[in-house]
Amino acid sequence: MSSENQTSFTDIPEAIASVSGTDRSVSMTVDSELYPLQAVYGASYIFIDRCYVFIDRPAAGSYRITLSAKESVEEVEALRRIVGEFANELLSCTWRHQVTQDNRVAIETVTVQAIAGAMGEPSLDDLADFDFTDEALDDPLGIAQSWEEKHGRPSPGPSPEAKAEADADAEPKADTEEASA
Amino acid sequence: MKPINLAEIKPRPGTQAFFRWRQIGDDAILITNLEGNWLILTVEEFTQFARGESTPDSPLHERLLDKNFLRSNYDVQAASERVKARKYFVHGGPLLHVMVVTLRCNETCVYCHASRANMDQVDTDMSIETARKAVDLALSSTNGFITIEFQGGEPLVNFPVVKEIIEYATERNKEIQKRLEFTMVSNFALLTEEKLAYLLANKVQLCTSIDGPEELHNAQRKLPVSHNAFQAAAGWIKRVNEAYIEIGLDPTLYHVEALLTTTKATLGKWKEVVDTYVGLGCKTIFLRPVDPFGFAERARLRLEYPRGEYLEFYRKSVDYMIELNKQGVEILERYAAIFLTKMLRGEDPNFLDNRNPAGAGIGQLAYSYDGKVYSCDEGRMLAATQDQTFCLGDVDTPYRKIVGHETIRAMVIATNLDQQPDCVNCAYNPYCGTNAAYNYKAQGSVFGRMRDNNVCAVHKGIQDYLFEKLAENDPEVMAIFERWTTIRPREHFVQEPGRTPELESDLEAAPSEA
Repeated sequence: MSSENQTSFTDIPEAIASVSGTDRSVSMTVDSELYPLQAVYGASYIFIDRCYVFIDRPAAGSYRITLSAKESVEEVEALRRIVGEFANELLSCTWRHQVTQDNRVAIETVTVQAIAGAMGEPSLDDLADFDFTDEALDDPLGIAQSWEEKHGRPSPGPSPEAKAEADADAEPKADTEEASA
Repeated sequence: MKPINLAEIKPRPGTQAFFRWRQIGDDAILITNLEGNWLILTVEEFTQFARGESTPDSPLHERLLDKNFLRSNYDVQAASERVKARKYFVHGGPLLHVMVVTLRCNETCVYCHASRANMDQVDTDMSIETARKAVDLALSSTNGFITIEFQGGEPLVNFPVVKEIIEYATERNKEIQKRLEFTMVSNFALLTEEKLAYLLANKVQLCTSIDGPEELHNAQRKLPVSHNAFQAAAGWIKRVNEAYIEIGLDPTLYHVEALLTTTKATLGKWKEVVDTYVGLGCKTIFLRPVDPFGFAERARLRLEYPRGEYLEFYRKSVDYMIELNKQGVEILERYAAIFLTKMLRGEDPNFLDNRNPAGAGIGQLAYSYDGKVYSCDEGRMLAATQDQTFCLGDVDTPYRKIVGHETIRAMVIATNLDQQPDCVNCAYNPYCGTNAAYNYKAQGSVFGRMRDNNVCAVHKGIQDYLFEKLAENDPEVMAIFERWTTIRPREHFVQEPGRTPELESDLEAAPSEA
């Protein structure tokens, strides 16, 4: 366990987390290969009622999570409990992340059936209230756009044959416009 | 218990199909499979099974084959039908609708502070307009069976709104045609003969709270004036049971049941608790641990206890109840009955806090006095401590928005044991469940962490006890367990579509008059 300043937790393995403590905060640096970012978010989030939570990347391949207690922490033991609880929650979130990926189909199937079973079929009133004017596809990154639309390049011009044909088609229209004018 | 040594057993893939296991005795290993079949093996048998070496035509092979534990003969159709039967409730929609008609309560309980109000706080009474909208929402459920449960506070404090809900729901149901049931959880202290007559005529099932022997009950539940909450409840239990007999109901099926809240003070009084319930004519005890909702931190320290101590209490209580059953006394423990029904019958009794996924939102909704709607009663109690996490809207919110709320989706996922670390590998997975609101309150997220979760500890401990009993295979105990899992529906309390309570009473009265 590396200890940058006054607090050290001799029973927490250095290989898993490095801890530096002040009177009310602890920082843990964890290996990003062992713990996915989603798990770090999940574990950190449950502390926001008790701590201010800061996440950064001090170096490639690691996340640093700093938990700063909202209320004064009198004892080193209290900080140790926070570190320990965070580590347990992080492990739990990491394993859940894996388990959820493994069982995704089963989880989604049960969830969809449960919600659909509770909601039932939409009534005519529900359908009448449905906003059909919404865009069919929400595409903020422009994935569904063509390369030309996305990057503003002019689309390739029509072939010479097609252009000649279009010009021919346009002539009577011009005559008509002139006549009507 | 001496743990088995897996290094010596050297498990490896072989003839076995998917299974989970748990040691329950020195020479007893439980194996369970995906669909909830189970076997208890000796260490020698488990060693053969774990090595994938069960010999065809051996007794062990036959047992494994019979319960679908062998890969080569795995009956996918049978497994899927059993899983489907166990999860029949998934499509059902909310059936339990908890209506908190007031927060006012005439009793002050040591474990209930945040979710009650003093008797002068009439602003915590549900209005008739809110009550009608709550009924409309409840009857919008996709479930064909609706139970409206009156809670509080003390529901008898706001009896006019109780009556309004009963009468409005009954009237509306003539058109909607669901099977409808009313239940009330009351301390009975404000019950009168007039109110009882109304509740009986409208087939409201009555339930009360008994915390154990008189001294303990009165210490935990303070009733002003008479200062004897126990006698108030006990007197009415007797009177209601007499009334059921007077209207021709079978007293072995129709009688008042009570709920126990186990506090630290209860733990040493396991025998007195059971004797008290038997003495009051109850045939069921639900040995519920105290939960963390509604009381202050100071009270928690006074009331809470390590779950290991609770499990000792549980074992002593149920051992004693089994002995009483052997002597002909009919008394069952509710947790045991719930788990045994899943283990022995392959059915789910649909207890909403102990199913997979749990019932919050998809099996129950809670309606607060102010019209707010919550995923479950625990969510409503959390709101009393200014945490609205489980609020889904109010009685003006369309039904489909309520049950399609993102919080419900999160809770369904969080209580699906297939996403839960520990539960995915636990032998008790097919029979168990977790409670998202409890996890949130106790551990900060709807997922919780099962390894240091009190509900998990209680569920595991109870199932350990039950499988130990099943491993002993005492014929007398097995017969008692068989009785505990025999569900006798209380059809009298169910109001069938198109039949008003008064009409049904007349029809039932006709044969005896003849």
